[in-house]
Amino acid sequence: MQSADNAPPNDPLASLPMANPTMKPLPSKQRGQPLILDSRPLSQPEAQPSTPIRERRTNPSAASLFRSTLTPPPGSRSGSPASMGSPARSLTGSVFGSGGFKQSLLDTAAAENPGDPLNLILKSFVPHIAIHDSEDVEHLVKEKGFKGGLFELLRPFGERVQGRVIIRDSNGASRTWDDFSVRFTKFGEAVEDPDRLPDPRSLRGPPPNGQPPGRKKTSLVQQVEQVVEKHLGFAEEEASMGTATPTTPTRQGLDTDATSPYYALYIRRLLSGIPMASHETFSHPVACVIAISSRHPAPIEALRQLYSETTPAEQRIPPWIDGDFLRYYVLIHDEERSDITKSMQLFDQMKRHFGLHCHLLRIRSSQSAQTDDDSIPLPRSDWMSASEELADIERSEQLKDSFDDDPHLFNRYIFESDATAIRTFIREMVIQSIIPTMERNVSLWNDQVASRRRGISGRFMSLSKRFTMFGSSSSSSSSSRNSTSTSSNGFDTLGYYRPDTPEAIMRRLADFAFMLRDWKLAMSTYDLLRSDFQNDKAWKYHASANEMAALSLLIMPQNMSSKNRVEIINPMVEQALYSYHTRCSSLYGAVRSTLLSLELLRLRGGTGIDESVRWGTRLLEMRLLGPIGDALLRERLAVCYASKGGTGSQLWGSRRRKSAMWSVLAAQAWVSMGKYLQAQKCLADARSMYSLLPSEWGVQGFNGASEFLAGLNDAVRDGLKLTREYAGALEEAEGGHGQNNEGEGLQFDESSNLGIPPKATGEAPPDKPETKVQVDVEQDGFNGQSTMSSQQAQQQAQPPGAPPQIPTPTASLSSSSSHSPEIDSEPVPPQSGGGFENAITPTPTSGNSPTRPRKASMAVRASRVLSAVDLEQAGLGPGPGPGPLSPLMPARLASGSGSGSGSGSVSGGREDSSKSSSKEGKDGGGTGFG
Amino acid sequence: MSYYFAIIGTQDNPLFEYDFGTSKQGGDGIARFTEQARQLNQFIIHSSLDIVEEVQWTNGQMYLKLIDRFFTSYISCFLTASNIKFLLLHQPPSSSSSSGLPASSGASTLTSSSSTTLGQHPPTSTSTSSLSVIPSLSTLTGGGNSSTTTLVGGGTSRTSTSIAANPTSPQTEEAIRNFFTEVYENYVKAIMSPFYKTNMEIRSPVFRARVAAAGRKYL
Repeated sequence: MQSADNAPPNDPLASLPMANPTMKPLPSKQRGQPLILDSRPLSQPEAQPSTPIRERRTNPSAASLFRSTLTPPPGSRSGSPASMGSPARSLTGSVFGSGGFKQSLLDTAAAENPGDPLNLILKSFVPHIAIHDSEDVEHLVKEKGFKGGLFELLRPFGERVQGRVIIRDSNGASRTWDDFSVRFTKFGEAVEDPDRLPDPRSLRGPPPNGQPPGRKKTSLVQQVEQVVEKHLGFAEEEASMGTATPTTPTRQGLDTDATSPYYALYIRRLLSGIPMASHETFSHPVACVIAISSRHPAPIEALRQLYSETTPAEQRIPPWIDGDFLRYYVLIHDEERSDITKSMQLFDQMKRHFGLHCHLLRIRSSQSAQTDDDSIPLPRSDWMSASEELADIERSEQLKDSFDDDPHLFNRYIFESDATAIRTFIREMVIQSIIPTMERNVSLWNDQVASRRRGISGRFMSLSKRFTMFGSSSSSSSSSRNSTSTSSNGFDTLGYYRPDTPEAIMRRLADFAFMLRDWKLAMSTYDLLRSDFQNDKAWKYHASANEMAALSLLIMPQNMSSKNRVEIINPMVEQALYSYHTRCSSLYGAVRSTLLSLELLRLRGGTGIDESVRWGTRLLEMRLLGPIGDALLRERLAVCYASKGGTGSQLWGSRRRKSAMWSVLAAQAWVSMGKYLQAQKCLADARSMYSLLPSEWGVQGFNGASEFLAGLNDAVRDGLKLTREYAGALEEAEGGHGQNNEGEGLQFDESSNLGIPPKATGEAPPDKPETKVQVDVEQDGFNGQSTMSSQQAQQQAQPPGAPPQIPTPTASLSSSSSHSPEIDSEPVPPQSGGGFENAITPTPTSGNSPTRPRKASMAVRASRVLSAVDLEQAGLGPGPGPGPLSPLMPARLASGSGSGSGSGSVSGGREDSSKSSSKEGKDGGGTGFG
Repeated sequence: MSYYFAIIGTQDNPLFEYDFGTSKQGGDGIARFTEQARQLNQFIIHSSLDIVEEVQWTNGQMYLKLIDRFFTSYISCFLTASNIKFLLLHQPPSSSSSSGLPASSGASTLTSSSSTTLGQHPPTSTSTSSLSVIPSLSTLTGGGNSSTTTLVGGGTSRTSTSIAANPTSPQTEEAIRNFFTEVYENYVKAIMSPFYKTNMEIRSPVFRARVAAAGRKYL
């Protein structure tokens, strides 16, 4: 199943990190980057997918190592859902492409594409294994350089269980999976209190007064936003250093298969920290690893002690968790200090005492350095929770200032023999213990609990139960009802279902089935539970059951028509959203359920895409997401629409205009946050989408719309330019690192990121100053917009000096364009670099007011870069921000725009700035700082 | 309730644009679109062409009723011969002043900057953008460009019971049908002019006045 990106299994590197294209460890020693970058290996990798060029230049070996994950494998693109969904379907239905395909979503390429949300869903709802280790194990692991204990060492390996995993479903049919994974957690951590209503309703408003500002209390969604924000800020900063190309140069149009790395990160972080809650059992431990080391003086007693700590009697796990999970005993043998014969004896003894679920893990206790022969870098976990990652980022930011950077903090190495041992251990544990146990539990619960409920008698039983409850509530006391657990599950008194109630068991059954990818069983069980929970008014349970029912129904192969699908799935998502949001005010649940349904509906193609967009707009309308999520979702909706194919040569039924509009809206959102790189990417998407339209004008026939686009374009360009100027100045001030790269980086940026590679580069000779390149590209890309603005700003039409080059969709309708006056003026813009500059000259001349907010915010940003404060507020509060930073503003304006008033002066100023940032040095730095 | 009416040519090019407000229930017939909403409306109308292209094959009627929705903006469509479409965007009054988008706070900075750029060159922008619309504007009775921009802030009280309040009701549908039909008749007369060719912008002041009249009459 795994296609081109599957490395040979004996390659120790490739088998681990490929799950995540956005995060790759990068040996920091080879990078010819400024110091400030070197000290941040942590968030470095996130910028990589968008900056393959830089990677290739600075670190060819790493780039070749990670080439397979940098770009999605070419093989998976052929069978993309967009192309499978609806094309070549005749006009049978009333709507184009009504069908969608019938097989399971898992058989599509999206399931294997590492960044794809479907893959993320598969990898996130996986069995959780708690780790409970003794102190001597922690000592041993700490000697190896892992402060977090065994958990930290094992976690990256659980993300991909080596080899194939065979799972039998409830019918006895077995299926093999290549990409099974488990999640390791620390025992007794990340527990969500069932009574707490955790999430403040809105992210935008001030936090509720009762809430301390500590990060523990911020909701998960907020943390996710912060993480993505940090990554975005880093990418922007890096790009502003001139070391990175802002956009992926290879990208043509909206690639519907490649997920935006930031969106993938958003989903991943949203899914990675599933809180251990009462209403769903995904994060409840399926098994618990109890580990001791060979150094322990009394190992068997220690194991007993650890075991008793994991029982519910110890109160370390909340009472709604079933304490009857599998215990897996691990003896960690220290290869360097302990005697193997003694360990073997001890291991035999363990086997006698505890049965088969034992393993002897032999690892070395000394720390591995990068220089060791057999050391391999231990990848960071792809599935660390948002708060963990935030903490890491903050730590690295603190380290960045003090230059005593510890390279082992984030780039860690382990011996290859250890990695092999751990991999073998995990594989053995998963295949021989965990999966059989889960399968056994599934069939047991299915036979004993669920199947009883499915039959006629089961329905009758639940009915009678309800009836007796109804009768007894009036007559007898509630305590007597609680004692008889058959008639009542105790939800209304406890607030949760005890683990031995049929509801809780069925929920566990459904979740196990979901984790084992038996969608049909999961779906039917969730469906049963929905009504049960609704009768009990257990709203959070109800919401979760609805959510998972919708997800499993969407994943499993389905034969229903699109109309049926809409009728069945939509109410489920609706119920989930409503129950999560309104009844439980659980922001996390609401966002998760809607986003995941959106993604799966998108993959279903056809009308599913319209449905998915409907959910997306619903989410936007409810304003559940913060600004980052909002912009990411807008971007995503553009992708959703773009993935709907059309019919016939005119592609009727496609949604290209809609997609382009959402790209524009996303660009607007990014601009308003000061994230100009993303905005630029979105604008390029919109532009290429408009150029694909059969009509040659895109949206440019509309005055207001093209003005708007031109305004956005100007904002993005100014923003990028200013960022770059400041970074240049900053670099000069720091002693001029990377001067050589700056110039070519700049030039490449300008020609590549505007989405018209061939023409732009062809038209700009390499020895031209950068400003010219920029202007040419701008007006070439946004022809009509500059038409409009230049029309309005200036009355004169430029004499046609250069041959008019009509942009991408060349005029096929020259006949129609001959007679109308507004088309007559069309040849004006293409030739006029000067005309375009005239169009934008009024900005600096007649008033600084329109440019001031942007420049001021850039000043804010730049000063942030200077002081290395976190970039968070700069993104969230995009306004002028005059407050404490106002001293910077006059200097900025004086140096940047106040230098002259004519059109020539603008270009001169621009040239100055780019030059100073690239070559000269001290001058630019001086002016930049005022 | 604010309306934005556009006639779209075969190349997605607007042949005629007109925005107006409701005249029922004491409305003054002036659109309450902000500058940003005005620009956004054009995007919305343009993007609805995707839906039009799909829906037009499912329906034998010329009036396609409500075809699309973008947050609080509703789009109705009327097809004419030769692939010219009438699109009417209508917005219930509750959100007439905002764009209906969940625009974050920063979005307003962009708007303000772009609108100020506009405002700096009032003579050039109006004169160039509507070269030949200018004379017709002066003859118009309803809202011109300048009056709408000044009046944007002060919206009148919302009308709750009229067709404006519920854009999906059958009454609204019927009113829009009447509006479209009347505009269509006038449109046919307008394009019968021997000097008119396909996809040309319609600049006839008479036609504009008649569209305005139809809007006052039905919406």
